[in-house]
Formats: sequence, C-alpha cells, structure tokens
Amino acid sequence: MLSQAFLIQVAASGAAVAALVGLAAWARIARPLNPLDDATARFYLLEEFPGRTIDQLWVATDGAGALARSGASALVLCRLGDGYVARQIPWAQATAAAFRNGQITLDLADVAAPKAVIVLPHWPPADLAA
Amino acid sequence: MKAFDPVTLATPFFILTVILEILLARLNRVEARYEAKDTAVSLTLGLGSTIAGVLIAGVTFAASLWVYQHRLFTIPMNAVWAWVAVFLLEDLTYYVFHRLSHERRIWWAAHVNHHSSQHYNLSTALRQTWTGGVAGTWLLWLPLSLLGFPPAMVAIEKGVSLVYQYWIHTETIRRLPAPIEAVFNTPSHHRVHHARNPRYLDRNYAVILIIWDRLFGSFQPELDAEPCRYGLVKNLGTFNIVRVAFHEWIGIGQDLVRQPRHALGWLFGPPGWSPDGSRETSAVIKARWAAEQAQAAPKSKRAA
Repeated sequence: MLSQAFLIQVAASGAAVAALVGLAAWARIARPLNPLDDATARFYLLEEFPGRTIDQLWVATDGAGALARSGASALVLCRLGDGYVARQIPWAQATAAAFRNGQITLDLADVAAPKAVIVLPHWPPADLAA
Repeated sequence: MKAFDPVTLATPFFILTVILEILLARLNRVEARYEAKDTAVSLTLGLGSTIAGVLIAGVTFAASLWVYQHRLFTIPMNAVWAWVAVFLLEDLTYYVFHRLSHERRIWWAAHVNHHSSQHYNLSTALRQTWTGGVAGTWLLWLPLSLLGFPPAMVAIEKGVSLVYQYWIHTETIRRLPAPIEAVFNTPSHHRVHHARNPRYLDRNYAVILIIWDRLFGSFQPELDAEPCRYGLVKNLGTFNIVRVAFHEWIGIGQDLVRQPRHALGWLFGPPGWSPDGSRETSAVIKARWAAEQAQAAPKSKRAA
C-alpha cells in the first residue's frame, strides 16, 4: 500500500513537471527549423540512409517532410517537434498510401513511429504511379 | 551511520537547475535547447520511473538483504576505506550494467528510453526507465552485498551515482580542465555517449570514473570537428509516452511471436540483430562508416 506521504510527493512532482514544461514552452528555445527544401531534405535523407541514391524527391508543400524514391524503397522524412524522423518502407506501400485533403498518410509499420503525414499537391505522381 | 537517499535530497536541485538552464538559454547566456513536448516526455518518464522504483524497491531490497545474510565478509559502514571500496566497485558495476544495457536487446529495451530524446539538456537526465526492475539489471549489484557491503551502503552509493549523472547531461558546459576530463565522466564525454553519429555509437559507458572506458577500450573523446547528433539510430516518431516507454519491449514481443525459434537472438542479441541480417546493429553501422572513411581518405589525400 502506498503511503499518503508518497502520494503527496507524486502529486507535487506532477505539478513541478507541469510547471517546468510550461516554462520550456514559454522560453521558446527549441531548435530553429526552416521549412525543408530540396537540398536540406536530401542532406537529412542521406545522413539517415548513407550510401543510398535518391532517384526522385518530393518535398512537402509545408516544408515539414519529404518522400524520396530509392530503388524499391521509399525514404520518408517527417518533422517531430524540432527534429526529424526518418524511416524506409517499400515503394509500393508508399504509392498505395491514402491521399486525402492534400496529404498522404504513410503507415510506417513501426511501433516507435507509427505513421507519417506529408502534405503534397497530389499523390501518387502520374509518371510513377504504375 | 544513518541511511539516506541522495536522489530525494537532490530533487530540489534538479528542479532549480532545469529552471536555471532554461532561463539562461532564454537570455542567450548558455547553449541549451528545450522543446516543450520533448521536455514533457523526459520529465514524465522521470516521474514514472520514481513510481516504478518504489513499486519494485521491496523486492530489490529484500533480495539484497537475503544475499547480505550469506555474505563472505562483514564490511563496516563507518570506515573510510569501505566507502572508497564501495565507490570503486559500484562504479565498475554500473559500467558493466550500462554496457550490457547497450549491447543486449532485452536490457536495451529498458534503457532505450533514456536515449530517445533528440535533445541533450538537464531534462534528458531525468528521462529514466519504467521497466528497469522488470529487466532485472538490479541483480548486478547483489555481489556487492555478497562481498559484505551493507545493502544501505550500496543503496546510498547507487544514489550518489545517479545524482552525479544528472549534471553531465548538458551542452552548457563544454570542456573541463584536462586532469578532470582524464579521470572523470564529464558533460563532454557523456555527450558522446548520447550521440548517434556512427563514430560515437556505444562509447563512454562510465558513470563517475571515465577510467573504466579507457581501461576496457570503449572510450571516445568528443571531437570539435564532429558535433554530436543526439537520439537513437532510428529516432522515435512520436511523443506518445506509452510508445516511448514500451516500444522496444513491444518490438521484442512482435519478433518473438513472428519467429519464436530465434527467441535467444531476439532477446540477447545486440539491438538491431535479426536472423537474416536485414537490420543493422551498431557494429554493422560502425563498420560501414569506417569503410566509407577509409575509402574517402585516399581521395582527400589525392585532392590535397
């Protein structure tokens, strides 16, 4: 049985956590992130997937992600907080991804990164859809 | 000597220094980056870890008391030499625990939380595991009680280690004087430990004395030419606290269900191990990186 003192300590710690998170939000000291362009998207993707070639690249219109074809794979880059997360999935899976309301939602099949949402004008690209 | 918990005593210091680091960064006085959701995950994991620790404390303390009853020697808690000895042996035990936690997937599953932030600040220090008790790594400290160190003495020393680790999670302090960097774990050495650059992977496991890494070949100094990139080889794509806390355990479960005959490999192989080699361990990543470096070196020499 947990003592009352312990529960009070947990409640006080919870309040301290909330206050510190509020302070961090107020301070606005996250990494400054400019919207991705072709060059930065390539840089990040090649950093994440060294040695890979990028056959074609689509950068999200809001600059918060990118999708690249690399042979039979799709390399996915998406923003999380003030950083980026990358995964690769089969290319066929990327072309079959649902495109609704101007964005594709990619199932990354990874419990640590379940999905990526990338804003694009259309998908799949007409010349690569086949 | 009366037992005490160094972590409880240090908690106000933790809170005050996080506030200080944020405020000084806001005023551009120090180099520190905080992202609110990332900070929330770190601090919530810290709070949850404390609760998990209390829930498992009865078991761990009972086990150490039982082992102590079968001790080889009786070591006095009020002798200076005994404190020096427990300091050195606990620090070495931590090195072994930490190395195992990086090199075997079942223990990495419990430790990965601590490395899952793309940030490196004082809140990252508090990003602690919820599942360390289940992983059973606390068993590694039982030999100290078997030797004859009183369980309270071991617990105090473990607390001292935890408190020491806190202040080295910062980019605010760049380098300390060379004699300190040579002997002690410092913010510089520990930044390397949290980095995902291939050169820095699986290096600098020490907690207080960096000499263990120097002795056992796992030391890597921080290089000005190669800034640390923090986080995991495959960074998390979510701030969902449950996924952050349990993702590697779930991954192990999925692998065991899919291929139970490879259970030993899935559990005790290095993180990134797979039967067909389709995933990458840190050894594979480092080897590929080293090969790329070797290939690039003659080219740059020719260009020069």
